[in-house]
Amino acid sequence: MIRHYVLTALIAVGSAVAVTAAAANALVNSHREQVAGIDLITYHTDVKDVVVILGSLPAGDAMAESGNIAIPTLTGMMLDRGTKTLDKFAIAEQLDNVGAEISFSVGTQSVEIRAKCLKKDLPLVLGLIAADLRTAALQPQEFNKAKQQFIGALEASAQNTEARAHEAFGRAVFPQGHPNRPHTVSEYETAAKAASIDELKAFYAKYYGPAHLSLVVVGDVSASENQAEVAKDFAGWSGGQDFIRPATPAVLTAAHEVSVPLADKPSVSVIIGQPTGLRYKDPDALALRVGTAILGRGFTGRLMGVVRDKEGLTYNIDAAVADDSIVDGSWDISASFAPALLAKGLASTRRELDKWWKDGITDQELATRKQGLVGGYLVGLSTTGGLASTLLTDVQRGYDVSWLDDYPKAVNALTRDQVNSSIKNHLNPSVMVTVEAGSVPAAAHQP
Amino acid sequence: MVEKANIPTARRISPAWIGRAGVAALTALCILARADAAPGTPAAAPTTVAGFSYVKSLSGIDEYRLDSNGLTVLLVPDHSAPVVTFQVTYQVGSRNEVTGTTGATHILEHMMFKGSEGFNDPKGNSVKQYLERVGGQFNASTSFDRTNYFATVGRESLEGYIAIEADRMRHLWLHEADRQSEMTVVRNEYERGKNDPDNVLMEEVTSAAFVALPYHHPIIGWKSDIEHVPIGKLRDFYDTFYWPNNATVTVIGDIEPAATLSLIKKYYGVYPHSPAPIPAIYTEEPAQSGERRVIVRRPGELGTVIIAHKVPNGRDADQPALDMMDAILSSGKNARLYRALVDQGMALNAGAGTDLHRDLSLHTVYAVLAPGATHDQVEKALMAEIYKIASDGVTPAEVARVKQQYIAADAYKRDGTAAIAGEINEWIAVGDWTLYVTFPQQVQKVTPADVQRVAKQYFKQDQSTTGWFIPVLPTAEKGS
Repeated sequence: MIRHYVLTALIAVGSAVAVTAAAANALVNSHREQVAGIDLITYHTDVKDVVVILGSLPAGDAMAESGNIAIPTLTGMMLDRGTKTLDKFAIAEQLDNVGAEISFSVGTQSVEIRAKCLKKDLPLVLGLIAADLRTAALQPQEFNKAKQQFIGALEASAQNTEARAHEAFGRAVFPQGHPNRPHTVSEYETAAKAASIDELKAFYAKYYGPAHLSLVVVGDVSASENQAEVAKDFAGWSGGQDFIRPATPAVLTAAHEVSVPLADKPSVSVIIGQPTGLRYKDPDALALRVGTAILGRGFTGRLMGVVRDKEGLTYNIDAAVADDSIVDGSWDISASFAPALLAKGLASTRRELDKWWKDGITDQELATRKQGLVGGYLVGLSTTGGLASTLLTDVQRGYDVSWLDDYPKAVNALTRDQVNSSIKNHLNPSVMVTVEAGSVPAAAHQP
Repeated sequence: MVEKANIPTARRISPAWIGRAGVAALTALCILARADAAPGTPAAAPTTVAGFSYVKSLSGIDEYRLDSNGLTVLLVPDHSAPVVTFQVTYQVGSRNEVTGTTGATHILEHMMFKGSEGFNDPKGNSVKQYLERVGGQFNASTSFDRTNYFATVGRESLEGYIAIEADRMRHLWLHEADRQSEMTVVRNEYERGKNDPDNVLMEEVTSAAFVALPYHHPIIGWKSDIEHVPIGKLRDFYDTFYWPNNATVTVIGDIEPAATLSLIKKYYGVYPHSPAPIPAIYTEEPAQSGERRVIVRRPGELGTVIIAHKVPNGRDADQPALDMMDAILSSGKNARLYRALVDQGMALNAGAGTDLHRDLSLHTVYAVLAPGATHDQVEKALMAEIYKIASDGVTPAEVARVKQQYIAADAYKRDGTAAIAGEINEWIAVGDWTLYVTFPQQVQKVTPADVQRVAKQYFKQDQSTTGWFIPVLPTAEKGS
C-alpha cells in the first residue's frame, strides 16, 4: 500500500532494496484500465471514507487554434451550469446534500476535473461528472452569464502584476502557434464579447469525448466497483481529441526586456527565462529540473540564500521548469522587488544565474538536493489529494503508474556531470528574456 | 514564512473570501475510535511519562502538561501514513503589539529562521537546511492572536526537528545585521500585499472597525515600524513571550506517545517557566456609536464592497450559529448570496465569514462587483440577504444541508496531518483547542431559530463598518 511504500522509502532513501519494494507496492495498489474509452486509474489507500477524483480532458485554451480564443474557457464554465436533465441548482443541491464537490477549470491544453466525496457518494459524483461532461445543457441564458463572469475575471486580472508578468513572459518565449503561447487579457476580452453559443456548441461537439480523457480515482475505493461505475456512466460516449504537440520546439535567439507598466504597485513582479525545448520525459529534462532546484527551490536554493537571506532584496525568488508535461516548456526565475531595489535585485539575480550556469553545481549540493527532493516527494504522497495529483501529472507526461516508484530511483541515479551538462546544453543566460510588471522605474531598464 | 494579515477571515478557516468559495467548513476530528471518559469520570492517561501531567483527552487528542515549565502538549497518534506533523504555537500575535512595535511578532517569526545557538547556517544544521535536506514541508505564520512554526516530516526525522524547534525557543540569534537584511525582506512582503487593492481595503475596514483593541493595526505592522523597530525591542518581545508556558506543542501522525513525550521532555524540559507572568491584554473595545465607512481609491478594474460587524470572541456559544448563517449565505451555487448577487449579474463572487479572534471577532460579507454594477446596489443587496434572515429566518432544509457538509468535511480532514495541525492551531489561538472537536458538534445542534436570532442580534446598521474599493482605471496601461 502507498502508506507502507512511503514509510519504506523515507527510511531508506537511496536504497535500491527499499525502492524496489516501493515499486511493487505501487503496482499492487493501482489499477489502470481503458473503461468506456477512458484511461481510468484507480488507487486504493488506507484513508477512511474519502475519495478524490482528478481528471483531464484535452479541451484547453490552445484548442481554440484559429477560432475564437475565449470559447474553450467559456465551454468549461458551462459544464456545471446545467445538463439536459438537471439545472445548475439541482446539480448543486445533490452535491451540497452530501458535502461533495465537483469543479472544472480550463488550462492551456486541458479541462481539469476535480472532485471529492465520501465513499458512499462515489456513484453519485461519478454520475454527475459524466452528466456534466456528456450532456451539458449549453443554454443561451447561462452562456451570457458565463461571458459576463469571464470578462469580469479578465478585468480583475488586468492589474495583477504576477499574472501580467507571466502573460508577457509566455508571449516572449513561445512563438505564434505554440500551445504554450498565451493570449493577452485584451485579446481574451475582445473574443469573449464576440463569442457565440453556436461556436461553443461546435467546440463542445468536437473536443468533448472519452478518447483522451484520463480519470484518477484515489482513496477508499475498490477498483472493480469504480470501473463498473465508470463503464455504466460513460457507456456509449464517443469522440475527443488528442493534445497538441508541435513538431518544432520554441527557441530564443537574443535577449530582450519586456516592461508591463502598472500604476501604484509597490512591488514589481520579475521573470527571467527562456524556452527549454524539452518535454518532461526527454532524457535531459530531469537533470535540468534537479539543477534548477539547486538554484532556486526552497529556502536553501542559491537564489533565496543569497538574494533574500544575505542581501534582503526580495520576499520571494525561485527558479523552475514549467509547462513541459505535454509539449516543450520553459525555464524561469520569478521574483518580486520594490521599485527602488529593482535594479539591484536584477543585478544580484543575474550574478547568481551566471555563476550557476558557468560553474555548475557541486557534488555536495547534488547529494543534499536529491535527498530533499525524494523525501519531499514521498511526504507529498501521504495525502489522497497529493497522490492523485501526482498520478494525473505522471500520466499526462506519458508515464505509467510505475513512475510513482521510479521517480526516486531516477533522481538518485543522476550524476553531477549530467546535471551540469543539461544546464549548459539547454539554457543560455545571454539570450534570456527579462519581464518586469508593475511600477517600474526608468533606471531599472539598464541592461 | 507566511504573514496572514491581509486576508480577511484567514484565521481558523478560509471561508468565503475573494477568489474562494465553499463552506466555511470547520469540522470535528474524531481521528480515533477510542471513547473519551464519561463526564465526571477521571480518565486514565493514555500513556505515562515521568515529568508530564495528563490533562484530558477528546476524540483522539491527548493533552499533557510538562510539569517543570508549563509547556502544553497535544498528541494525536494517526498511523495511516509514516509521516508526522510537529507544530509549536506561541500565544503571541499582533494583538500583543503597541505603537512603535507593530509588526514585531511577524518580524520575530522571520528572525526565527536566522539561526540559534545550536542550529545555524555556519554549522550546516539550521532549521531550513535540516528540513529541506530531509524533504520536510515546513513554514511559519503570524496572526492576530498567535505565531506558529510547523513541519511535516518522515517519522524518523522528527527528533531532529524537535531539537531545532526547542533550541530556537530560548537560544535564538537576534543579530542587528540579520534584522537589517530581514527588514527589507519583510518590507517586500508588505509591498506585495499592497499590490492588491482588496487586501488594502480589508486592512482599512478592520482598522476602522477596531478603535481600541490591537486588532486595529495590521498583523504585518505599519511600514514605518517595520523599518525602524530596534533589535532591542525584538529581543524584549522574544524574552517576554517565547517561553514554554506560553506555548503549545502539537504532534500529529505516526508517533508512539510515550516516546514522543520523552523527546519533548528531553529538548523542552531544559527550560524554566517564564521569569515573569505573560502580560495580559486588558484593553476593551468601546461601544460603537454609529456606522463607519472607508473608501479606498486605487488603480484597478472592478470594485469591491466589504461590510464588517464585530461579533463575540471565537469561543462564544453564538459562533456555531453564525457559522451556519455564513454557510447558508455563501456555500456553493445554492447559497443565498450566489443566487441573489452572482446569478443576477451583480457580482463576480460573494461570500461571508468570521475571522475568529481571542477577543472580539470580525464578521464580513463581501462582493466583487461585476462590470456595470454599482457599489450602492451591491451593498444594499448584501445587507438585504442578512436582513432577510433576521426577518424571515432560514429553512430547515438549508440547515440540514450545511450539517451534512460538516459531516463530509469531518472525513476529509482525516486526510493529512498538516491540515489537522493547522486547524488545531487556530483554536489554540482563540483560547480553547477543544473547540476543534466540540465546535462541529455544536453546529449539529444549531436550529433555524438560532440562525435567525444571531442575524437579528449582531447585524445592525449602526454597528457596521463598510468599505468600498473604487477602482481608478489608468487606461493607458490596460492590455499589452
